[in-house]
Amino acid sequence: MVLDVTARNPKAQSAEQEILFTASKTYFEIGRDMQNRMRYGAWQIKDIVDLTLQPMQQAKEQFLINFDTDIEQVEITTTLTYFISGKSSEIVHQHKELIEFELY
Amino acid sequence: MGTLHKFIVLTACCILLFPSAAVQAEQKQAETIDELLEMFDESNCLECHEEIHSQWSDSWHSKAVVSSLGGMHNFIEIGLKKEWEAPLTKGQLLKCLDCHAPVVNFASEELAVKIGEMIVTAFKEKDSAAGKAAKEELAKLNVGCLACHNIKATEVARGYNGPAEENMIYGPRGDETDGAHETLQSDDLTRSAFCMQCHGIYKAADGETINCNTLSGSYLNSYIANGGSKTCQDCHLEKGHLFPGGHDIDTVRQGLGLQVEINPYQHLPGKIAGVKSDTSWVPSAVVTVFIDNKSGHRIPDG
Repeated sequence: MVLDVTARNPKAQSAEQEILFTASKTYFEIGRDMQNRMRYGAWQIKDIVDLTLQPMQQAKEQFLINFDTDIEQVEITTTLTYFISGKSSEIVHQHKELIEFELY
Repeated sequence: MGTLHKFIVLTACCILLFPSAAVQAEQKQAETIDELLEMFDESNCLECHEEIHSQWSDSWHSKAVVSSLGGMHNFIEIGLKKEWEAPLTKGQLLKCLDCHAPVVNFASEELAVKIGEMIVTAFKEKDSAAGKAAKEELAKLNVGCLACHNIKATEVARGYNGPAEENMIYGPRGDETDGAHETLQSDDLTRSAFCMQCHGIYKAADGETINCNTLSGSYLNSYIANGGSKTCQDCHLEKGHLFPGGHDIDTVRQGLGLQVEINPYQHLPGKIAGVKSDTSWVPSAVVTVFIDNKSGHRIPDG
């Protein structure tokens, strides 16, 4: 499960200038054996490091973003993606919001 | 009659009256997959339970062996062969198949080993004729109707229930069937503990723990412990015997909430390195994201 936050400049003149900010947070389990080594095999895993989202709990993530002094408009996209396997994923929820700044 | 004789007679009576699963398994050991499927014939279920069968056909239970060939191959070829230096036996294979295909409990030692070898062939040689044939044969093994409604039906409370009766169908209601089959009402199938036989850390007969997933631990220790009251069936039976989980995006969406708060502001001039002007206010925003896990277990799990 991955949370991505991306800020883009909708008025950007080029692709390089478009993405202003990206950050992500991954929620997952790390399986480990009795020697504390990370493992994938079900027969090897005897314990976990739990970095998942816990039931009946709310996870809160905060991102402070400073843009350049000439940025007037920013589109912020927040995406929660579920990876059923390393290769296959689907977007669970996505939120897009346009914010505008007066320049001083 | 001496004490020893009394003990022998008493033991013999107990075995006759209350045969254990081990004894049953000894009595019924299939030599081929077809023989195994004959012993647990599910072909008639479809006649009356068409909708349920259709849901199950699209479920991961219906492909519980062929969808997990990689993991099982690795257990046999890496775990058993290289790490444990142990031979492939029925007991070892049941660490996978007691859950992925419970009928294998009733296979002979030779058949179980053959199934294990077929798993290796089906994965290692998936593009060859032998690999395809092995996979086709293995596709007959799964978590079928009788896996839950007979073989595993009494296992959670085995001491109280005793072993599953031959040809008996255990169900939550115990409906009359006009003679199609005998039915016994069983509360066990409605309880989370029933699903937890397989959907959690699995304890094998020899004591080894197999950690395919950790759902049940999370359910008990983080959901129930915090006041949760739903059962696995409350959510995962909403689409009937399709039993959707992480593979179904609607179910994933149902279990997760997302709320985003964006708070724009102007940061003090001269305080942020790398911006174009040191004398201008810096357009800034604080993005706060709240993710609610509304399910009864950790997300993700696997």
